[in-house]
Amino acid sequence: MFNNRQKAIMIKDIRGITENKRYFSVLTILPLLFSVVFPTIMLLTVLLSPTDSSSFNEMARILPDFQNLDQEQLIHDLLSLMVNNVIPIFFLIIPIMTASVMAASSFVGEKEKRTLETLFYSPLSIREIFQAKVYASLFIAILVTYVSFILTVIVVEAEVYIFEGILLPLSINWLWVMLLIVPSITIISIVLIVKGSAKSTTIEESQQKAAFLILPLALLLVGQFTGILVFGGGVVISIGIILLLVALLLLRYSMSGFTYERLLDR
Amino acid sequence: MDAIEIKHLGKVFTEGKKALDDISLVVPQGSIFGFLGPNGAGKTTTVKLLNGILKPSSGEIRVLGLDPVSEAEKLHQSTGVLTEHAGMYDHFSGIDNLRFFGQLFGMTKAESETRGMQLLGKLGLTDAAEVKLKSYSTGMRQRLSLARTLIHHPKVLFLDEPTSGLDPESTKSVNELLLELAQEEGTTIFLCTHQLRYAQEICNEYGLMDNGQLLALGSLEQLRQRTFNHYKLIIETDVMPLSINSKRIKDNTYELTFQEKAEVSQFVKTIVQQGGNISQVTPMDYSLEDIYFALLEGGETHV
Repeated sequence: MFNNRQKAIMIKDIRGITENKRYFSVLTILPLLFSVVFPTIMLLTVLLSPTDSSSFNEMARILPDFQNLDQEQLIHDLLSLMVNNVIPIFFLIIPIMTASVMAASSFVGEKEKRTLETLFYSPLSIREIFQAKVYASLFIAILVTYVSFILTVIVVEAEVYIFEGILLPLSINWLWVMLLIVPSITIISIVLIVKGSAKSTTIEESQQKAAFLILPLALLLVGQFTGILVFGGGVVISIGIILLLVALLLLRYSMSGFTYERLLDR
Repeated sequence: MDAIEIKHLGKVFTEGKKALDDISLVVPQGSIFGFLGPNGAGKTTTVKLLNGILKPSSGEIRVLGLDPVSEAEKLHQSTGVLTEHAGMYDHFSGIDNLRFFGQLFGMTKAESETRGMQLLGKLGLTDAAEVKLKSYSTGMRQRLSLARTLIHHPKVLFLDEPTSGLDPESTKSVNELLLELAQEEGTTIFLCTHQLRYAQEICNEYGLMDNGQLLALGSLEQLRQRTFNHYKLIIETDVMPLSINSKRIKDNTYELTFQEKAEVSQFVKTIVQQGGNISQVTPMDYSLEDIYFALLEGGETHV
């Protein structure tokens, strides 16, 4: 899939991130926030709120038929809603943020530090160079997301077990989110950043642009909280497949207009 | 065989700036070609065009028989390019950088390291091999960049201001290395600089540029003949016969202008016959600088 020259670029890009304290701390702190801190706060809110309090009632309204459920069932359903519908949205934010840090550093960073021109004097085509960089970003983003997922599962199950003495089953939605949606939106984010990098001249500028990618997800999150949008399995699979197609098309065609001259234009 | 052939090359940037105007030249293999001119003359643009990084607006280029636009990757395997804007990675050490670039050119890690250490040795950077680039001085960076361009044994080297930021000692070691490459390995060197004295030390063919136009092309002697139709010498004597057309510079020192080198002995003979005592005769060679400024002042049409 990759030649040795491309592998050298991928290893170089990954080292560029892991050996840079600032990037590395962003890539560890943010995922920890979304995979451990926020889910813990949400679960503890459900677990520790007195069931007769008004805030608990407000939360319970999200559930269909909440008036007909007994208290134990109510807590169980609420926890399940948090774990299977709300927390997965965090797992869309994690890869976008990771990919944006990685891609901004490896594309715009090279341009800013004037190393892109040196890469262009090598016997690799622009396509090969960019392909290596996209896959290095994709690899790191997916790795960070999957490690975060493992952490979340451990932390969430431990918390639920401590307070309720049960293990909460994960819905099949997680599988589609992890296997379809996460890789797709990671690719889409990277490609958009790479496209934007032809115009951005500083890493900050590129990261600010990437921040806009998070906006639709924030709306989705609000939707999940308010109960307006609670997606079932079929919808999640469909969205996943559509996103994957978009991602693959973008990956295939996004680099066709790139020329040395355009990319080095400052 | 010619390593570089350029025919009627022109480049106009999208904003309408004309960077190069109808340049034609050839660089024979194994020569050190000095592409000279002030900043903004079009030297760096030419290097980028020769490597396919820019597309020509008109004309034709062949480097090692390849078209840089359509065969850029193939060409890059045989060329090494040093420009002001081609940087390296600050968070890597010198040898890490060379190892990485060696791998980009298809070498193994071990091969790149061996070659890298050998080049660092030649350029006086052995002690800095494991030091991160961010601690390097400008001169050290420049030498490491030169090592980077040489890592894969290129057949043609493009060097844009290779000695900028170098102290005289480093300049000397760089010059020795370049001469060795040209003479022993037959590497063609396309050297861009605005330092005419430096170019004269090392190059054997020259192209003089100004404002996107090629003013003159050839060896130093060819350029001299083309620009000046005479020689000069300074003679120190207590008697200067009126029959000799001379210009007095100071007491007992005269400047003589003549057409043929054979005339020198005639001058000496005449002065001695008139009872003059000659204490010194200094032939004055026209330097590249003299030639360049004469061409600029003369408003020579470009070639």
